[in-house]
Amino acid sequence: MKLFKKITFSALAAVFAVTASFAGGASAAGTLSGKITVNGSTALLPLTLQAAKEFQRMNPKVRIAASGKGSVTGPQAVKKGIADIGACDWDASIDVPGFKAFSGQVANKVAVIPFATIVNKNVGVDNLTTEQLRGIYSGKITNWKEVGGADADIVVITRAFGSGTRVNYQAKALAGGDIVKKEKNYKETGSSGDMKTAVATTPNAIGYIDLVYVSGDVKAVKYNGVAATTENVINGSYKIWAYGYYMTKGQPTGAVKAFIDYVQSKKFQQGSLKKLKFIPISAMK
Amino acid sequence: MVQPTYDSPPAVNGSLHSKGDTRRRHFRHLLSNTFARYYFLFSILALCLVLALVIVFIGKTAMLLLGQISLADFFLSFNWTPEEDKFGAAAFIINTISLTALTLLISVPVSVGMAILTAEIVPPWLKRFIRPILDLLVGIPSIVYGYLGLTVLLPLLRRASGESLGDGLLAAALVLALMVLPTIARISDDAITAVPGKYRDAAYALGSTRLQVILRVVLPAAGRGILAAVILGMTRAIGETMAVVMVIGNTPQLAKTLFTPASVLTSNIVMQISNVEFDSTWNYALHMMAFLLLLISFLLIVVIRFLGRKRREG
Repeated sequence: MKLFKKITFSALAAVFAVTASFAGGASAAGTLSGKITVNGSTALLPLTLQAAKEFQRMNPKVRIAASGKGSVTGPQAVKKGIADIGACDWDASIDVPGFKAFSGQVANKVAVIPFATIVNKNVGVDNLTTEQLRGIYSGKITNWKEVGGADADIVVITRAFGSGTRVNYQAKALAGGDIVKKEKNYKETGSSGDMKTAVATTPNAIGYIDLVYVSGDVKAVKYNGVAATTENVINGSYKIWAYGYYMTKGQPTGAVKAFIDYVQSKKFQQGSLKKLKFIPISAMK
Repeated sequence: MVQPTYDSPPAVNGSLHSKGDTRRRHFRHLLSNTFARYYFLFSILALCLVLALVIVFIGKTAMLLLGQISLADFFLSFNWTPEEDKFGAAAFIINTISLTALTLLISVPVSVGMAILTAEIVPPWLKRFIRPILDLLVGIPSIVYGYLGLTVLLPLLRRASGESLGDGLLAAALVLALMVLPTIARISDDAITAVPGKYRDAAYALGSTRLQVILRVVLPAAGRGILAAVILGMTRAIGETMAVVMVIGNTPQLAKTLFTPASVLTSNIVMQISNVEFDSTWNYALHMMAFLLLLISFLLIVVIRFLGRKRREG
């Protein structure tokens, strides 16, 4: 028995030694180490996950944990020290309608997110102006015939207050206009997925969503005559878009800085980020 | 070195069974019994601790609301506009009550009817078929019911009513009724089956018809059990969130008609909790709503226990 134990011990020791030397060899590729926690916007989550996968391949000693819950969760988690990076659809270091600035936080631009106005496929309207959208969302325009469509009630579908998509849509597409709260044909949804399902299955419905989510079962309408496409965002004619930010407590350092640098690097911006249908920050002037 | 006594099979060579073996086995049983008792005791205490922590945490955060707005504002005002610091939860409370009532109105007759059918009327082979199906229905995740409600029920309601949205109390009540139906039906079924056969025999001997036996004898005898089933269904209906969120419309207003897009306590919490700041009146108000739900469920469970005790005494 004692002999067996001795053999086991020496075998284990050997294994450890080998593993250690291998790990040492691998770390030569990247000297960074540490753990990065990312929390916040669900819109930015696919981007974060992809970037984390690539970054960890280059820096095997860095561990990145990413989760999404909602834009305002990002800067809040950073404030409480739960996360190193808070993903947010707006610049949380300054005041936006409904949310106070998070002082001491630095906003790092990582992507451009375009948003689109979508309608149910049965709606005949192809183009809406800022004024018409403001009318529809404030409850002044309630019938599609008032904006050139068929005689049918407009069903307004919107995201819950505090959603990053809503904050940006209200600021850009409605030019700060109100979103009605208490109407008969008014409904709130909790996520981009629910929004899409609701608009796709409700006749005469109108809603708004990240451009990357738009697909065949809903119709994206033109805004002031301009189609919602990435090209139009880049050439400056389509105005409903926003930067996605990584919020950090003060200027980022160490592994966090390296990760943000990687997400902002040309390689990632022109490669994976474009593939995920976001727009590189360098494309905007 | 310890001998591996406990793992070796007991010596079963006939009369060679030694006294030491018996003593060791006795000791082993004693040890495992004591161990098991402490383990279960520990589990229960741990569970109580977790439950207490939930109540304390939610309650503590909820109580922070007291310094911010008056309770009268919270319970009596219908104006829920968090971005303008208006936190009136009256509409949600009333909607929760009316949604639960409507759900029970739809599901109780159907599910108690099903329970009577399963327990009293159908032949045994059909019972063996119906009961597992009801048990399976309980296990379907609520989000599945919600999604079916959103994609199947809402278009149907829209066509039937001529409304352009269809979301509202009726849609939510129909989805909830389907969800609580198996709970109420199965527990009522058990209560009816538990009614002693001699009651029925006596009633038949007096010349009653089957309907008279069921309505006049079996149902009154199983009454408390059925009531407990209904209350259990009610707790499920009050606490259900995901399915309701998808079909109720989520508009913070009082539901004046069956098709008014509205919001209940649970759906409002889940829609907003991820978007509020930790140290804000808004967050405290949502926690107060959660605490209220906790109190309501707690109260209902106390009522069930009370009914159960009465039955055993009676």
